Amino acid sequence: MAAELEERKALSKGEARCPAADSTQEIIAKDKVAAPGWVRSESYQFLGDEDISTDRYIDPKFAQEELDKLWTRTWQFACREEHIPEVGDYHVYDLGPYSFIITRVAKNEVRAYFNACMHRGTKLRASGTEGRASEFKCSFHGWSWNIDGTNKGIVCEWDFPHVDRKKLTLPEARVELLGGFVFINMDPDAPPLAQYIGADFKKHIDAWKLEDRYTYLHVAKRLPCNWKLAIEAFLEAYHVIITHPQVAVSNGDANSQYDVYGEHVNRFISPLGVLSPHLSGKYTEEDILAQFTLGDSGALGGEKRTLGEGATARQVMADMFRGMFEKATNSDLSGVSDSELLDCYSYTIFPNLYLFPGISLPMVYRFRPDPRDHRWCLYEVMFLRPVPKDGKRPEPAEVIRLRDDQSFKDAEGMDPGFGAILDQDTDNLFLQQEGLEASAKHGLTLGNYQEIRVRHFEKAWEKYLAMAPKRPDRERLPRR
Amino acid sequence: MAEEPAFTRVLKAAEVEPGTKKAVEVNGHSVLVCHSNDRLFAVSNICSHAQEKLECGRMSRGWIACPIHGARFELATGRAMNPPAKQPIATYPVRIVDEWIEVSVPPPG
Repeated sequence: MAAELEERKALSKGEARCPAADSTQEIIAKDKVAAPGWVRSESYQFLGDEDISTDRYIDPKFAQEELDKLWTRTWQFACREEHIPEVGDYHVYDLGPYSFIITRVAKNEVRAYFNACMHRGTKLRASGTEGRASEFKCSFHGWSWNIDGTNKGIVCEWDFPHVDRKKLTLPEARVELLGGFVFINMDPDAPPLAQYIGADFKKHIDAWKLEDRYTYLHVAKRLPCNWKLAIEAFLEAYHVIITHPQVAVSNGDANSQYDVYGEHVNRFISPLGVLSPHLSGKYTEEDILAQFTLGDSGALGGEKRTLGEGATARQVMADMFRGMFEKATNSDLSGVSDSELLDCYSYTIFPNLYLFPGISLPMVYRFRPDPRDHRWCLYEVMFLRPVPKDGKRPEPAEVIRLRDDQSFKDAEGMDPGFGAILDQDTDNLFLQQEGLEASAKHGLTLGNYQEIRVRHFEKAWEKYLAMAPKRPDRERLPRR
Repeated sequence: MAEEPAFTRVLKAAEVEPGTKKAVEVNGHSVLVCHSNDRLFAVSNICSHAQEKLECGRMSRGWIACPIHGARFELATGRAMNPPAKQPIATYPVRIVDEWIEVSVPPPG
């Protein structure tokens, strides 16, 4: 009877897991330095198994609807606090046609001004720029604003008796600071960020202390696909064995763990230093050790890897990483678990932010649509290293902008092995975009477990796309 | 070949700490001495876009931004990095001799 029940349970949708392999939790449980609670928990949920309609990737009308409904309501990562360390520092963040001057107005206060002169609309700062403002003065007729958003002056004010300068403060998007990230939201009615991301995930991000990291590498590249396809290329480890065969030797891909948290956050944990279940019996622990690839190997130098009697590749790598990352980044990692040193944790915060809080894979990804062409998007990868122990925070890296035809390996400072992985991930994307346009099948078919993050992401997308348009309205936005 | 203008002592080296900048007048030119990315630069203190002074602007990673309209310039070459400027700003040879910063700026006119 019990066996029968077990069997029925195994057949329930979304319950099946990679057979004949340790689960991610079982792998982590064997580590010498134990992982914290946020690692050692699961939060999978079956969300249906119907196909996902593909018109959302190929029909430009959805790109416009996204700009009117989704991007105007969701919390977005605009910049890091380290980009605007001093009062008066600003950083221009763009999403499609929208543009914001993210400005530090006090030690602990950041505002996001709509980047447009209130006279005849000229942007007060060019897109893609940053600096320190003594004022925001329009380069057309010279209307000017103080950094606190109040109007500083109108040239020939005698000609504008109908304008009340007190009502001319710059409209603002909402701003919240979390983990060193500046988030903005154009919707005055949106829930606060903590509610948007949910209490469970809030505990995770609070534990990571990402505010104590700095950006040591920042690379941007346009990708030839809809922004959602680019995001979804990174939401599962299902593709690893085919797309990244060189990695599979030291990556538990088919036994990675997938979780969803509320409507806007999902994650996977992909254990490293263990053999892919696809390759079971074909490689030794020595092979795994030799083939271990990681994102931030620049921090490691050319340390020799040796496997002692009875040791596992995973434990050897964890022990090595601890000492070497501490030395290379001048930081204290004594309290950090083996799993945090080794494994790939990938979290998505809807709509477009990825956080990888691990030490060896310390990335942040951001994806933005190209407002002129729904078949292109902008992808950024940032690497965050711990701030050195002596407390001197290095300046965040300047953005390296790759040409469309360049390899990620061309970015100075990029680990060549990791650059090759990003090339493999992104080189498929034009084929997928074109294939969806060519296909006689108008739905994506998804795995119930390994592709749950894709479904979770698209469920959130569908929720916002079902809403009425909501363009930012000066009268409804917070103003001082 | 045009002769390089003579070097003029402008500041003690210790007066321009890493990450800081100081404006000086040399031969009628307003010159900004900048210490960024572990080296010294001397550039025109006047933005090529609307003749505003650059000295209160943010300096970071080898560039300086105009505090009024936001144009940015590469300190090594003077190249305008973003609108609203298109024209470069002048750059001047700079050296340290006997703990003094010296710049070579053309005579007026």
